[in-house]
Amino acid sequence: MTESRHALLKRLGEQAKQIRRNVWRALRAGGSGHAGGSSSAADILAALYFHRLRIRAHEPEWPDRDRFVLSKGHANAALGAVLAMAGFIDDEVLDRFYHFESPFGMHPDIKVDGVEMCTGALGHGLAIAMGVALGARIQKQDFHAFVMIGDGELHEGSNWEAALAAAHYKLSNLTAIIDYNKIAQSGPIAELIEIGPLADKWRAFNWAVKEIDGHDMAQVVDTLDALPLDSGKPTALIAHTVKGKGVSFAENTYLWHSNNVNDDIYAKAIAELGAP
Amino acid sequence: MSTATDWRAKSANQTRLAFGQALLELGARDPRTVVVSADTQDLLGIRPFIAAHPERFVEMGIAEQNAIGVAAGLATTGLHPFVCAYAPFITARSMEQVRNDVAYAHQRVVIGAAASGVSLGVAGGTHHALEDIALMRSLPNMTVIIPADVEQAYQATLATQNIDGPVYMRLGGRVDEPTVTAADQPFRLGQASTLRDGNDLAIIACGALVEMAVRASDELRKQGMHVRVINMHTIKPLDRDCILKAAAETRGIVTAEEHHLTGGLGGAVAEVLAESHPTRMKFVGMPDAFAVIGPTPKVRAKYGMSMEGITQACREMLGHR
Repeated sequence: MTESRHALLKRLGEQAKQIRRNVWRALRAGGSGHAGGSSSAADILAALYFHRLRIRAHEPEWPDRDRFVLSKGHANAALGAVLAMAGFIDDEVLDRFYHFESPFGMHPDIKVDGVEMCTGALGHGLAIAMGVALGARIQKQDFHAFVMIGDGELHEGSNWEAALAAAHYKLSNLTAIIDYNKIAQSGPIAELIEIGPLADKWRAFNWAVKEIDGHDMAQVVDTLDALPLDSGKPTALIAHTVKGKGVSFAENTYLWHSNNVNDDIYAKAIAELGAP
Repeated sequence: MSTATDWRAKSANQTRLAFGQALLELGARDPRTVVVSADTQDLLGIRPFIAAHPERFVEMGIAEQNAIGVAAGLATTGLHPFVCAYAPFITARSMEQVRNDVAYAHQRVVIGAAASGVSLGVAGGTHHALEDIALMRSLPNMTVIIPADVEQAYQATLATQNIDGPVYMRLGGRVDEPTVTAADQPFRLGQASTLRDGNDLAIIACGALVEMAVRASDELRKQGMHVRVINMHTIKPLDRDCILKAAAETRGIVTAEEHHLTGGLGGAVAEVLAESHPTRMKFVGMPDAFAVIGPTPKVRAKYGMSMEGITQACREMLGHR
């Protein structure tokens, strides 16, 4: 039976909320972590993993799978949550965040099922995803390469090397999603080094560009379903998001880029996110 | 398809070109072979590959960080990418991509690094690669190969087909590299070869210095000194047994390389000997300075990276000054 659009959006919204709960759960297990950027990405991750990506949790190395590279690897708490919810890894792994010899640390590790690359050193993911997209083309496969890039991450020049080349190769099977939550580790990005006008920059690099509300599930789903936006260009989705989304004290502040999480803070966060 | 004599003639005594010729052969053998260029189509002689397999060639332009990241991405899809680049740029500039995307992620990426050492002598210090061995051998998972001549470069490149992990292949520049190894010998990863016997001393050399070491040994033999010459073509994994045997059977070890004395072949050999068989050593290589500008043979010779420099080091060690 086909899921109705209403039911789909409702389900994905609930799953996004569950990702956020799991993020805070992992951060409590680790004692600290990147709540801000993990929470801003949650709706997009839900739409990707529980709707758009062609993946098989029971066959993580399936050659025909779509690939997702979390270039902003410091949001690994959210990726771990998604991988656990999708069945790639055991749920109990989320309670071992940062633990000694855990597969689940601050940044993604390719040895973990479902993780496509070791990321977190910023400015690497777009080139890697481009390599994946080229690999699909060379081998005449139809999988799609997605990469999520942080907004502050765009300070790294290597992104723009990759942006130039991906457009040159007209990689319509490559989609970069920029999690534009406007805040980095030290403060607002506009006060560090301004990255706007962002859509203009990607357009100037010859990408197909769309700006969306990264928390409006209908917009996120509709946009992902419409890919590629241009059959001769890679796609840049500029997702306007709220850092720390879903927990009032963590929203829109650099203080929650990464912060300590104890039982008390965890309880307050979960109270705001609500019961499953 | 290249024939046996064909590739040799086209390599013109330059390891960088032998690498390109071997890629042509690998391209014919294995459809997973993909070549990534950083505006280096002539530097590594890959135009024949491009002509034969245009769909398996990717030009990335003058963007080494991007070339490594893309190669890592290609490798995750099951392809075997060979990155063609300048040694100074693909190591120092792209070090983080090589470390994270290739070595840490254990991706099967082969880096063909041409113009190593002071082979771009006249280009000056910005274009010399005298720290690349140190950088690459410090990375877990990385295999480091330094062919001594075109025969070995060709065979070693073919042999990367059997290496399940990243490889750094250090190649020369637009400089004649006289042949010193036997033709058509399969490459034996991690197994050094002895080119001259002798139990007075042993020279352990790599790259262009191997041929110089052979000439030095031949010269010293005329004077009654029997100097073993070992071609240490694989820096990682290092042939410890060969080093320890040489230390046990001779009166000292001279290392010779076109690289800083910090962290290169000499350092690698010393690490083995200091722990397992303390041995008198002398090091031929680049001292702790940036090299001067000039034609490659003259720049090498200024710092002792020459037949004469190796001979002198051997004579000093044997007490004949």
